[in-house]
Amino acid sequence: MGLTTVTRSGRSRIRGRALVLAAGLGLGAMALSGCTANEAFFFDMPDPATKEAHTIYDLWHGAWYAAWAVGIVTWALMLFAAFAYRRRHADDQPEQTKYNLPIEILYTLVPLIMILGLFWFTAKDQSELLSVKDDQAQTINVVGFRWSWGFNYLDENVYDVGMPIGEGSLEGAPTLVLPVNEKVKFELTSPDVIHSFWVPDFLFKMDVIPGKTNVFELTPDKVGTYPGRCAELCGVDHSRMLFTVKVVERPEFEKYIADLKAKGQTGTLQTGRTTTHGQQPQERRI
Amino acid sequence: MTILQEPAAPASQPLEISERKRSLGKVAVSWMTSTDHKVIGYMYLILATSYFFLAGIMALVIRAELTVPGLQFISLEQYNTSFTMHGTIMLFLFATPLYVGFGNVIVPLQIGAPDVAFPRLNMLGFWLFFFGGFVAAAGFLTPGGAAAFGWFAYTPLSSSTYSPGAGGSLWLLGLAMGGLGTILGSVNFVTTIYTMRAPGMTMFRMPIFTWTILVTAILVLLCFPVLAAALLMLFIDRQFGAVVFAPENGGALLWQHLFWFFGHPEVYILALPFFGIASEIIPTFSRKPIFGYIGLVFATLAIGALSMAVWAHHLYVTGSVYLPYFSLMTMLIAVPTGVKFFNWIGTMWRGSVSFETPMLWTMGFLITFLFGGVTGIILASPPLDFHVSDSYFVVAHFHYTIFGTVVFMFFAALYYWWPKFTGKMLDEKLGKWQFWFTFIGFQVTFLVQHWLGVEGMPRRYGDYLPSDNFTLLNEISTAGSAVLGIGMLFFVWNVIKTGRSKQKVTVDDPWGYGGSLEWATSCPPPRHNFTSLPRIRSYRPAFDLHYPELAESAAGHGAIEGGAK
Repeated sequence: MGLTTVTRSGRSRIRGRALVLAAGLGLGAMALSGCTANEAFFFDMPDPATKEAHTIYDLWHGAWYAAWAVGIVTWALMLFAAFAYRRRHADDQPEQTKYNLPIEILYTLVPLIMILGLFWFTAKDQSELLSVKDDQAQTINVVGFRWSWGFNYLDENVYDVGMPIGEGSLEGAPTLVLPVNEKVKFELTSPDVIHSFWVPDFLFKMDVIPGKTNVFELTPDKVGTYPGRCAELCGVDHSRMLFTVKVVERPEFEKYIADLKAKGQTGTLQTGRTTTHGQQPQERRI
Repeated sequence: MTILQEPAAPASQPLEISERKRSLGKVAVSWMTSTDHKVIGYMYLILATSYFFLAGIMALVIRAELTVPGLQFISLEQYNTSFTMHGTIMLFLFATPLYVGFGNVIVPLQIGAPDVAFPRLNMLGFWLFFFGGFVAAAGFLTPGGAAAFGWFAYTPLSSSTYSPGAGGSLWLLGLAMGGLGTILGSVNFVTTIYTMRAPGMTMFRMPIFTWTILVTAILVLLCFPVLAAALLMLFIDRQFGAVVFAPENGGALLWQHLFWFFGHPEVYILALPFFGIASEIIPTFSRKPIFGYIGLVFATLAIGALSMAVWAHHLYVTGSVYLPYFSLMTMLIAVPTGVKFFNWIGTMWRGSVSFETPMLWTMGFLITFLFGGVTGIILASPPLDFHVSDSYFVVAHFHYTIFGTVVFMFFAALYYWWPKFTGKMLDEKLGKWQFWFTFIGFQVTFLVQHWLGVEGMPRRYGDYLPSDNFTLLNEISTAGSAVLGIGMLFFVWNVIKTGRSKQKVTVDDPWGYGGSLEWATSCPPPRHNFTSLPRIRSYRPAFDLHYPELAESAAGHGAIEGGAK
C-alpha cells in the first residue's frame, strides 16, 4: 500500500458512517417533502387507469428496484474508491496492478445475468400488451391530424372531432368517451404526418402513422377524466394537440353517443384509414 | 517538482512583441492552408466550441420559454426552430467534430507518428465540415427560417408539403456535406492507426483513446454513408418531387429506419472517444495503469458491434418493429458499458487519486453518465417506453448520457491536454469553479425532467397548461440551466486569463504520471511531433520512460506483452 496509512477498520468505519448518512439524508428528504416512495424513487408514475397498465406499472417498479440497486452500488464503489484512495502524500507510489481476471469475469457475468432477467420480464409483458385478440366491446378509430384529434366510434357509427386548444385552456380540445371495464380496440390513422396517441394515465402510447393503421387494445378500469397528448412532433402547433379522455359508466356512455347522434355527428371521418372495416382511403374531410 | 517556470525572456520586455512575431493575417493564412494534423485538430476544436456556445444559448432560450405556462419570449414556430437547431448543432457541429478534433491532435502523438496518413484529405475534411456547418445553419438567413422539424427530421413532417422553405433543404445539404467531411476524417484515422504506428507500438500497446478513435472511425464508415444517402434522397424528394419517403410507400417508417441506423451508432460515435479520454485521465491521476486493458479494448469493440444492431429501439412505439430482438440487443450494450465502469473504478482502487481539474470533470462524468446508463436500461424495455417514449424522461436520459459524456469529458480533456496544445496550464481554481457550477447546474436542470416525463410532459412542447402541474419542476429546471450557463463563463474567463499568463510548461508531462506517448514530447510538440521516440515496450511508453524502476517491477504483476525490459 506504499505510504497510505488509513487502517482497514478505520476505512470500514468511514464507509459505515457514509452509508448511514446517505440513507438518512435520502429518507429525511423524503419525509420532509411528504413524498411517497412512488413519487420519490419511481418518478411519480401515474396510477394505472386501465387493466393492462398495471403490467407496465409493476414492470416499472420492478425494473427500478434493480436499477437503483445497481446504481447505488456502483456510485458507492466509485465514490469510495475516490475517497478512500485519495492521495495522501505527494510522492505516493501505488502498486501497478494491471488486471485481475476473476474480478473481470465477475463484473461481466453478473450484469449479463441481471440483463437477461430484465429481458425475460420485458419479453413476457410486451407480447401480452401488444397482443390483439379482437374480442373488444368497442372499436374506436383515432384520427390524429394537424393539430387535433378525431374519434370515430365505429360500432356506434358516430364521431367527434376537435380543434387545437386555445391559449392557456383546453378549449376546443376533443373528448374521447369510453365505457369503463369494456375492452376497447384502438385503430390509429393519420392523414398527414406522424403523431403519437398518448394518455399518460393509461401508461401507454402508440404512434399514429400515415400510410399505416396501428392497432392496440386496452380496458379502462377506473372512472375518471384523463389528459391526452400528442407525443410525436407534428409541426408548429404540436403542443396544442391535446385531448381529454373520459372513462364513464355504461349508461353515461350511451347518453353521450345519443347526444352525438342528436347533433348529427353520424358516420365516420374519412381520414387515412386504409383497409380495416372494408373502407377505402378517401379525401380527408376535416 | 517544478512544473511552471517564468519564461527566460526578461520580464520588462513587452510580451506582445516577443510572442507575435507574425501578423494576425499571416497566422490566419498559415492556419487556413495548414495540413498539420495538430492545427487542423485545433481548428475543429475551436469551431466546435463556438457552436457549443451558440447551441447553448439556444438551450437557455428554450428553458426560459418553458419556465411558466404561456408564451413569453418566442413563438411556437421559433421554439421548434430552436430545439431543432440546438440538437442539430450540438450533435453534428459540436460533438461529432470533437471526435475528429481530439483524434486529429492526439492520435498521431499517441502512436508516435509525425503526422496523419492523408494530411491533405484531412484538410479537405475540415473544410467540408466548415462550409457544411454554415450551410446547415444558413436557414436562419432565409425568409422561412431554419429547419424546424426536429434533429431527426421525421418524414413526412420534413417533406416539402409540411416544411416548405429553403431552411429544411439547406439543413439536408449542409449535413450531407459535413458528413462527408467526417467520413474522410475517419478514413484518415483508420489508415493512420493501421499503418503509421511507431516501431514497437503494437495494436495491443495502443492507448485506449486511440482504440476508441479507431472503433469510432469504423462506426462512422458504416453509418454515415447511410445518413448521407437518406439526406440526399429526402433532398431529392423535397426539391424534385421524388416519392422515396412518401407515406403511401411506407416512407414514414423507411426514413426512421435509415435515420436511426445512423442515429444510434452516432451516439456511440459521440461517446466512445470520451470513454477513451476517461481511460487516459483516470490512470494519470490515480498513478496506476488502466485496470483490465484487454477487457476494456474488447468492451469497446463489443459496444461498437452492438451499437450497429440496436437502431430500432427508437421505433418501439411505432408498432412496426420486432421488439424482442431490439430490446435484447439494447440491454446487452449495458454489459460492456458496465465493464468500462468497473475498469475505471478498478483503476482508482488502491491507487493514489488526486483531483486536479481533469480528474474532477471525469468524476462528474462517471457520476452523471452512470445515471444515464441506468435510465438507458429502463428505456431498453419496450413496455416501459410505451409510457415514457417521447417524453421528458427521454430528454433527461439523453442529456445525462450525452452531456454527461461529451461535455464533462470535453472539459476534462481540455484541462488535461491544454498544456500539450498551448504550452500553458489552464487555471485550476477557475476550472474548479466552472466544474461545480456546471455539475450542480446540470443536475438541477435535468434530474427533475425525469419526473416531468413520467408525469406526462411530452418532449418538444413549447407550452403547457397551468392545470398540467408541470410548472414547479420547469421552474427548477430553468433555474438550474442558468447556473449551468454561468459555469460556462468561468471557462471563457479561464481561457482569456491563461492566454495572458506568462507561465509556460517546460516539462514533457506536467501531470507527472501520463502513460501515453504524447507525454514524451514537448508542450506543445514540434511540427513533426517528436525529436526522439522512447522505446515502446508496453502500453505506457511515457510512464516507462519517466519511471523505469516501476516499469521494471510491473513486469512481475501481469504486464501485458512483457512490459518494459
